[in-house]
Amino acid sequence: MVFNDIYKTYWNKVFRICMGYVNDHDWAKDIAQETFVTIWQQLPKFRNESAIGTWIFRIASNHCLRQIERQNRMPRSEMPEQIAEHIEPDREPQVQFLYKCIAELPETDRLIISLELEDVKQAEIAKIVGLSETNIRVKVFRIKERLAKKFENYEH
Amino acid sequence: MDFKALWNKQSTSDMPDTKELFTNADELKKKTRNKLIKLNLVLLATTPVMIYMWFNIDNEHLTTRIGLILIVLAIVSYLAVSNQILPMLFKSDFEMSSQEYLNQLIRIKRKEDFLNKVMINIYFTLLSAGLALYMLQFISRMSVAWAVTYVVWTFGWIAFSWFYLRPRGIRKKGKALNDMIERLEKVNGQLRDSD
Repeated sequence: MVFNDIYKTYWNKVFRICMGYVNDHDWAKDIAQETFVTIWQQLPKFRNESAIGTWIFRIASNHCLRQIERQNRMPRSEMPEQIAEHIEPDREPQVQFLYKCIAELPETDRLIISLELEDVKQAEIAKIVGLSETNIRVKVFRIKERLAKKFENYEH
Repeated sequence: MDFKALWNKQSTSDMPDTKELFTNADELKKKTRNKLIKLNLVLLATTPVMIYMWFNIDNEHLTTRIGLILIVLAIVSYLAVSNQILPMLFKSDFEMSSQEYLNQLIRIKRKEDFLNKVMINIYFTLLSAGLALYMLQFISRMSVAWAVTYVVWTFGWIAFSWFYLRPRGIRKKGKALNDMIERLEKVNGQLRDSD
């Protein structure tokens, strides 16, 4: 697969995963860009040992996790209320709420649920994260339950 | 609640064209390189002075030459570590699973912490020893009063850097690194809990 095709096919997916991780538009864009730079650099070495999607999502997930190293950037969800309000107005409140809830989860849970919502198979998620498939299934179930509860409270 | 439908409604960012993508990457690379060049220049600026001294001052004592060699060695070892060994050791691989990646980051940070302590110690030891040896020749030619002042001043400075600057340097960087390791381990623990 040529880089341009990968870039076109996966940009939105990778961006949403980054957005689920940080819930900050500009920051997510930065992470997505860094991800594609790595993909571009590593593509000649890609050996088809795993599906291209799994490989791309691994790189994206690890770029998200790398944000732990950057202390000075604070996710919107952890900012004081007044500043946190500046989220793009064109987003539906429910969509905003979903991404906010996801970004508040523990780091690895954010990745797992983002990949699940991105329609990545659980067997693939297991390979990306490094857990067993059973573990992923249990985790996805619990995270969805947690999100559903938050939405219940949100709507009432 | 259909989370998938909501998830896909997120407006995505405009895809930067590939040119922009690589310009950003290049800028980042340039920044890192410039930082390294600056560090090298500052440290290397002292070596011409040393070379000048080597050839122009009559170094009748062997200690003076050994002193100079130690000082240059201190600078060179510091540069070697920050230029060559550091980037090589700390290169991270993004193609592994999250769990392996987190373990890799923790390993890298631990190595960095260790190297930080060892390097600061080596640097200060070489520099202090070099300076002390270098001074010997000049002190031996001075009157007693001057020699005492010189010795007190030099060793005062060495003591100050050894007992204040060195531990402070180690502590400052060490704390930042340990905080980072703690955070990474916490995230890694999220994956261990469910085993």
